[in-house]
Amino acid sequence: MNRVALGLAHAFVVAALFATPSSAADDEALKKDLTAVIALQGLPCGKVVAVKVLAESDYNASCEDGNRYHVHLSPEGRVVVEKQK
Amino acid sequence: MRGARTWKPGPSGNDPGYLRNPLTTCRIADVFNCRSMRLARVSLLLLLALFVATCSHREPVTSDSGPANVATPAGIQPPAATPAAPAAPIPAEPVPPVVKAPAPARPLDLNTLETQLKETKAIGLFTKITLKNQVDDLLGQFRKYYQGKAQLTLKDLRRSYDLLMMKVLTLLQDEDQRLASAIVSSREAIWRLLADEKTFATLQA
Repeated sequence: MNRVALGLAHAFVVAALFATPSSAADDEALKKDLTAVIALQGLPCGKVVAVKVLAESDYNASCEDGNRYHVHLSPEGRVVVEKQK
Repeated sequence: MRGARTWKPGPSGNDPGYLRNPLTTCRIADVFNCRSMRLARVSLLLLLALFVATCSHREPVTSDSGPANVATPAGIQPPAATPAAPAAPIPAEPVPPVVKAPAPARPLDLNTLETQLKETKAIGLFTKITLKNQVDDLLGQFRKYYQGKAQLTLKDLRRSYDLLMMKVLTLLQDEDQRLASAIVSSREAIWRLLADEKTFATLQA
C-alpha cells in the first residue's frame, strides 16, 4: 500500500511540475494584455508585473513603475482603467 | 508461471541476478511480473502521457517566411526598375539566383479586416475590446463631424485615425506580420471610406 501511495505521490508531483508552465503562460498573456490596455489608454505603467483577479473581466494590475490600476469591463462593454492610490 | 515466482531480498548491488529499485528489489527474471516494476511502468506511462499532453497544449511556433514589410508606408511604391542601358558584352559569369521579393499584401475589405482582427492571437481579449471602443469613439467623432456638431476638422480626424492605426500596427507587427502588412496596405482605402460623407453613411447603415 505504501508503494502505491509513493507511486501516486510521485506521479502527482511530476504532473504538478508539468502543469505549472501552462498556468504561467496564461498569467504572462494576461499581464501582456493588461499592459497593452493600460498603454492604449495613455496611462503610465511600463509593464504589468502582477495581476490580481477580482472577478471575471475585473482585475487589479500592478505596474513596474509602482502604479496600480483597476481594469474592468463596464456593463456598456467598455474597458475601464481606473488609477488606484 | 506467475504463481511460481519467488521473492528474495536483494542481497547486494553487485549481484547481476538482482535489479535494484527504489521501492523494492526484484529479480531480473521477474521484471515483468514484479509489482514494483509494474508500478514503475505505470508511473512511466503516466509521465509520458502528461508530457505529450503538455506539449500538445503549447502553441505552435509559427514562422513567417518573408521579411517584414510593415514599415513600408501605404501609398509608397517600391522604385520601379529602370531600363538598363545597353551594356557592353561581358563574359558569361554564373548568375546568382534571383531572390523573389514577397508580394505586397492585398488591401482588405472592412469585413475581412474585422474578422481577422477578431481572430488574431497577437492581441489579447481586453486589448481587442479597448481597440473596438476606440474605433467606435472615432466613428462617433466622424458622425458628429458630418452632422456639423463637432469642433474637429478633417485634419484632426485624420490625426486620430493615424494614431489609432499606429496603435493597431504596434500591437500586431511582432506577432502577426501578415495582418499588420494587410492593414498598412488597406490604410488609405479605409481612410477614403471614412473621409467621404456618402460612403461613411453607407458604412453606418
